[in-house]
Amino acid sequence: MQRLTVAAVLGLGVLLSAGALWLVLSSVHEENPVFTATAFMIMAWSFILGGIVAWMRRPDNAFGRLMTAVGMAVFFGALGAANDSIPFTIGYAFGGLFIAIFIHALLAFPRGYLETKLVYGIVTTAYLILTAGSFLSTLFDDVADNCPECPANAFLIVDSPTAVDVINTILVIAGVPALAASLYVFWRRWHAASRPIRRVLAPVYVAAGVTLALLAITLLVGAAFQEAGNVLFWIVIISFAAVPLAFIVGLLSGRLARAGVGQLVLDLGKPHAPGELREALARALGDPTLRLAYWIPDTRSFADIDGNPIELPEPDGEELVTMVEREGRTVAALIHHRSLEEDPLLVESAAATAALALESERRHAALAKAQARNRALLDAVPDLMFRMTREGVYLEFKGPAEDLAVSPDQLIGSCAHDILPKDVADPLVEGIRRAIDTGEIVTGEYRLELDGRLRDFEARIVKAGEEAVLIVREFTERNTAQAELERLHLELQQRHRELEHERDFAGTVVDSTPSLLCLVTPGGYIVRFNHSLVQLSGRRDDDLTKGNAFWDVFIAPEERELVRQRLLQVAEEGGSGEYESTWITAGGERHTVAWSTTPLRDDKGHPRLLICGVDITERKEHEAELRRSRARLVEASDVERRRLERNLHDGAQQRLVSLSLALRLAQARIADDPEGADRLLSQAGEELSQALEELRELARGIHPAILSDRGLGPALEALAARSPLVIDMTMVEERLPEPVEAAAYYVVSEALANVAKYADASSVAVSIARVNGRAIVEIADDGIGGADPTRGSGLRGLVDRVEALDGDLEVESPAGSGTRIRAVIPCE
Amino acid sequence: MANRVIIVDDHPSFRATAKELLIAEGFEVVGEAEDGRSAYKAILELKPDLVLLDVQLPDTDGFSIATELCKLNGGGPIVVLTSSRDAADFGPLVGQCGASAFVPKAELTGAALRAVLR
Repeated sequence: MQRLTVAAVLGLGVLLSAGALWLVLSSVHEENPVFTATAFMIMAWSFILGGIVAWMRRPDNAFGRLMTAVGMAVFFGALGAANDSIPFTIGYAFGGLFIAIFIHALLAFPRGYLETKLVYGIVTTAYLILTAGSFLSTLFDDVADNCPECPANAFLIVDSPTAVDVINTILVIAGVPALAASLYVFWRRWHAASRPIRRVLAPVYVAAGVTLALLAITLLVGAAFQEAGNVLFWIVIISFAAVPLAFIVGLLSGRLARAGVGQLVLDLGKPHAPGELREALARALGDPTLRLAYWIPDTRSFADIDGNPIELPEPDGEELVTMVEREGRTVAALIHHRSLEEDPLLVESAAATAALALESERRHAALAKAQARNRALLDAVPDLMFRMTREGVYLEFKGPAEDLAVSPDQLIGSCAHDILPKDVADPLVEGIRRAIDTGEIVTGEYRLELDGRLRDFEARIVKAGEEAVLIVREFTERNTAQAELERLHLELQQRHRELEHERDFAGTVVDSTPSLLCLVTPGGYIVRFNHSLVQLSGRRDDDLTKGNAFWDVFIAPEERELVRQRLLQVAEEGGSGEYESTWITAGGERHTVAWSTTPLRDDKGHPRLLICGVDITERKEHEAELRRSRARLVEASDVERRRLERNLHDGAQQRLVSLSLALRLAQARIADDPEGADRLLSQAGEELSQALEELRELARGIHPAILSDRGLGPALEALAARSPLVIDMTMVEERLPEPVEAAAYYVVSEALANVAKYADASSVAVSIARVNGRAIVEIADDGIGGADPTRGSGLRGLVDRVEALDGDLEVESPAGSGTRIRAVIPCE
Repeated sequence: MANRVIIVDDHPSFRATAKELLIAEGFEVVGEAEDGRSAYKAILELKPDLVLLDVQLPDTDGFSIATELCKLNGGGPIVVLTSSRDAADFGPLVGQCGASAFVPKAELTGAALRAVLR
């Protein structure tokens, strides 16, 4: 509160006091002006001064202002002493306003504002009674009835004592419950209040309670007995004036409590255990609920003396927080009862006094918290830990006892050499010494047999004063897992290599196989195709081809629709199919391809169809040629049979018929014409000889008997002997398989016949040899050449005969250079 | 009265032997022919009573000539087919062609021909 405000309030109070004194002392109708003036001054100034004190202590609390207002409102009552009608009437009507403000102030104590609807109702009722109610009563109250000297009632409408009584009775009926409710509110607050706040409330509530009780009595009694009421009213006024005094008494009791700070100073001078500071501060502040929260800078949080975290209370609760700082740094927070809000100086002085001690305890709390954190960290570490002396003696351990080589009881106090094998204990003790001497962290690994199996450990040795701490971690499982991982890695590499080999192998097979391979989507679109198909089709396995429909690229136009339907059907229904189609190359060449489809999935799992084809164009041609060859053989056979039949019919048969007739004719003449018969018989003998010769020739033409009986050499020699040609014969000595000899014989026979008929040759060379399991038959003449094996049935029939034995027959016959026929026939 | 005969056969030895046999048997051999064309011409010219006609001729066969002779106005000569083969080898052709008889060459006699003429 500003001094100017204080001065202004005091100045206003003085002015109003002067006015009030002038009015009272100059009043012609005031019976005891000095007494009345004194009462006004006591009442007004007790509240004005008390209010200013409260206002200064708690500028944000309306209680001080309300108290001051009560004091100022008292001076309204002084208008009732005026000699003029209007001021007098105003004072008469509104002189009780200060009581309403007083009730308001009491019900707002100590927080400075009204809290519940009940309290609002009480205060509103009080204002209505003492302003509107009093004004209403004044309208019918002829003041002259009780005070003939008093000025006239300026507000009087009708002089009606009855109306005044009725109105006053109504006001009392409304006022008494309001006052009773006020007492109830005070009682309830008292019960709810803690001890410190009761200390503040007590004097004010006592004085106010007495005042209000007296006021209620005054209202009741005053309504019945005017004189008694007046007396009581004065008593009330005096009681009323005591309320600020009670407040000051409460204030003083708070100030007296500050004496506890002095005791605090003394207490802090003594050595104290952790936690005793809180007791001392609680005593000094009179708040046994006091809690101390120490600021831990590391974690930027508050903790209690044992390092346990503390959350500061919300500002609108029963507890308030006062921060304690030292040298600009937060040290701690005092968590105290809200009642101490009434005396912030007390709290602050106590906090300032205890700051140093709080700083000390804060460090203690921080240490406790750090220890707790470290302990938690250590507890969380799963490793075995040992504290050991320089000589390798176990002092302490932490960790699972089942990981120890011996029982914990045996371990503590034993030397490493008593527990561990020498090859482990020696480097361990050496490591401990080195860690203690150098301060370095020494690490090492060792293996122990525990529970019947070998286990691997890693030890880290850390210096701790003149001792060492061993942190031991087992990594057997890690080693095992790592070994397993390496094994899996090797296996994976091996599998990878195998897969690569398989892939290379598959790739090689795919590209080197003569089969035509093409991978297509289920829709028939080309994904890729192999080298053989590239070679056959003259198309490259590139982006121009990929993605096109298989049938559009590889199939002859007239068969595309059929192939498309088949492929889509296989793709839809699954399974495989086998077909024969005409494939077409980029250059328009047509190939007959037997192909099949196989469903499969590619390396990404996509469904595909593998089309696998074989170019059977040559095979087809061979088959056709075979069919033609067979037909020619059949035809040749038929022709030969016809020739035989004709020869028999025209030759031997006719001669025999004639012979038969001649014999019968000779028989008929033999008696009468012996000469004629003899002639006929002579002719018949010649006819018979010719018939026999023709039959021999015919039989030789069917199959030379010498070939079967004596073999190819003699047969060819006989053939040569009958031939008009000059023949140079070179023969194989051994016998050849019978079909081969027959074929060779007829090749030579036909060739010689052709030479005789067409070649105009002077000599012929015939050679039969056996080379590498094959019979080589050659007939070469020096004739005119120009023979065409495709024309005429003779050579064609020889080709068929030789090919029927899987042999080959070639004819070289350049015009003018003779003819060379060479047959190669397998003999195996 | 001697029966006038023409012998049609492409084998000269048979023609000669048959001619001698038939003459010996009292027939008058008025002509010979070695193929179908000359045979037809000789028949039209010489108008024989009987034609000994070989079935197998170089330019045609005896069945065709027999059929044609049957179509001549006033009826042609009696046609006797002959062959070194058996009649059964020709099936129904012998009966259908209009020939009066079939005599195997080996069984040719004057009596066989007269039996037909009667």
